Amino acid sequence: MASIGKLNRHQAKMAYLFITPTMVLFLVFTIIPVVMALFLSFTNYDVVSRMDFVGVDNYKRLVDDSLFWQTFKNVFYYAIVFVPLNILISLLLGMLMNFKRPGVRLFRTMNYLPTLTSAVAAATVWIWLLHPEFGLVNGILSYFGVVGPAWLAQTETAMLSIILVTLWQSVGSNMIIYIAGLQGIPEYLYESAKLDGATAFDRFRYITWPQLRPTTFLVSTMSIIGALQLFDQAFVLTQGGPGNVTKTPVYLIYQQGFNQLQMGYASAQAFILALAILIFSFINMRINKSEESII
Amino acid sequence: MKRWVSQAMLAVILIIGVIGCSGNNNNSGGSNGGAGDGGSGKPVELTFWGDWGGEGQKQFETMVDAFNKSQDRIRVKYVLQQDMITKFLTAATSGGAPDILFWDRWRTSLYAPKNVLHPLDDYMAKDGIAKDAFYEESIKELSYNDKLYGLPLTVDARALFYNKKLLDEAGVKPPTTWAELEDAAIKTTKWNGDKLEVAGFSLGDNGLFNMYLQQAGGTMLTEDGKTNFNNEQGKRVLSFWNKLLNEDKVYKVGFEQGLGEGTDAFVTGKLAMHYTGPWMLSTYKKYGKDLDFGIVPPPAGPNGGKGSVMGGFGLVIPEGAKHKEEAWEFIKWWTANKDNALLWAKTSLNMPGLKAALEDPFFKDDPFWQPFMETLEFAKIRPAHPGYSVMENDGLIPNLQLYQQGEQSLEDTLAKAQSQGDKLLADNAEVK
Repeated sequence: MASIGKLNRHQAKMAYLFITPTMVLFLVFTIIPVVMALFLSFTNYDVVSRMDFVGVDNYKRLVDDSLFWQTFKNVFYYAIVFVPLNILISLLLGMLMNFKRPGVRLFRTMNYLPTLTSAVAAATVWIWLLHPEFGLVNGILSYFGVVGPAWLAQTETAMLSIILVTLWQSVGSNMIIYIAGLQGIPEYLYESAKLDGATAFDRFRYITWPQLRPTTFLVSTMSIIGALQLFDQAFVLTQGGPGNVTKTPVYLIYQQGFNQLQMGYASAQAFILALAILIFSFINMRINKSEESII
Repeated sequence: MKRWVSQAMLAVILIIGVIGCSGNNNNSGGSNGGAGDGGSGKPVELTFWGDWGGEGQKQFETMVDAFNKSQDRIRVKYVLQQDMITKFLTAATSGGAPDILFWDRWRTSLYAPKNVLHPLDDYMAKDGIAKDAFYEESIKELSYNDKLYGLPLTVDARALFYNKKLLDEAGVKPPTTWAELEDAAIKTTKWNGDKLEVAGFSLGDNGLFNMYLQQAGGTMLTEDGKTNFNNEQGKRVLSFWNKLLNEDKVYKVGFEQGLGEGTDAFVTGKLAMHYTGPWMLSTYKKYGKDLDFGIVPPPAGPNGGKGSVMGGFGLVIPEGAKHKEEAWEFIKWWTANKDNALLWAKTSLNMPGLKAALEDPFFKDDPFWQPFMETLEFAKIRPAHPGYSVMENDGLIPNLQLYQQGEQSLEDTLAKAQSQGDKLLADNAEVK
């Protein structure tokens, strides 16, 4: 008995020893910066000349900052359209690419390719494709007698264009995650369901979907976080225009911090964004849990 | 006992980790300092930071080499910093600041109050260099509270570029007033059904509002730092834009988006006239072999008002620089000496801030440079308010875009731009 306890203690010690380097890095590069940022959000820090405690002034200023809330509205709109579509399309693609047919690997690769391109380079190409007069998209539309809009320049379509471009780029990697999830579902579940006369839809509804819940949770959480932190594609495609409809919180945080040197205020904005991400991830967790348990 | 051993080990690893990090900092700080300290007899080494790569880097290095050859006391080295301003922010506090910094002039009003730039007034007085040898507006942009923080390296302003062939075909002359501009734009525009084939005049850049407002006789800000465009002059600009875009249909929103360099609408003959600056000259000469273009100063507004916005770069000395005297020597050599300023101008195809250098036939007798020189006579810098660019980008331009797309009325646009702009100005005014 005593020797087992000793062994456990020894193992625990070694375990701590082995995780120490990682924990030190985590502490230095994640925990300390986060705590520092929280502290900075209560100061008027400007990087170069001052760091005085200003209480909750930064947060008071946030309340009246209509542009900041507008950017939140923008990313919420983005998230509400983007996240469900992302899950739906990646799941459908995943199921399609999970069929064992000759050549399926080729199609998997092709669907994954957009993920490998750099976000900025891909966005630049999409600007050409979406050009109102000479772009491919409107060129195809004009075959059907439709006069396409100025996708990126019009308030009605600008955010929609960003959603489409980011979807195109993100479904590939989520498809891979779904394929992995699908391949982890035991075959006997389907066999017994078939024996009991379940239709293809029933098998999806009662086996595939519940079995994929952990996968869906991962995909939805990652895409919610990604959506709220939207920046590079939106910045390259529209620079926040037209009429502020595609400006995002991250854009404002960067601008306040590095262009206007109001690092304290930018930290406060960043904390509100982090809080929003936390809340939405939590809601997402509850939604995923509330369904019936697996099997 | 053993528990203590492992805890001690953990503590040791932690300490080593922390020391390792801070030790690195010390080392890098030390080596930077060491590189800068030239002993007596050895030339002093200066670091010059800029964010121009590619062609720009070669142009900088041409100047640096010329300076290094001209004397043997000072050696300057150009270091390309892609993200220069962010790098400078950390360097300014941790002691790794360069000796000379390539400076986008409008940033002066934000950085000078924070005491990270070194004033040059004493050096100027000592070496007898007069401020009025340079363009007054560019000096104003580099000043804060009557102190001068840098010397102008380049000056630029936008003028009207026009496609000679398209204007000839339409039988119009290069415009000199808003009315002529409208007429020329209408006559050069070509629609094919719903498709715009040639746009007469570009209305793509709402950031040019400042320029139009000057032409209409207004100014962007009041003396006390509030927006000053919700008035008759602002209305004049917007009605002119609205007429061109929605009644005369000489342009379409989004027409030029993403068409850069070789596919630029002006290069490919899809745009007859637009405002741009001398930085496009080399591109147009390079890509537009079939492009026959001319330049005229910006057309005057309804009451004869002229206006353009002056921009450009300068050289500054950070407060953290280790060799300020030598850095000043370099800046003086480059910007305040006529021959060197001219060498720079010819190398980089930029207009130098030194007026005497522009007297050279290279500029005076060139039909491409001459209109810019005329424009610089009346061009004004952007207001030196630390919140100005935020006001323009987040308050004014979004409202102008909504107006262009017919989503809000003229009155609403100006009223909203005013209230949002004033708030952004106030929020970003305090820099101390």
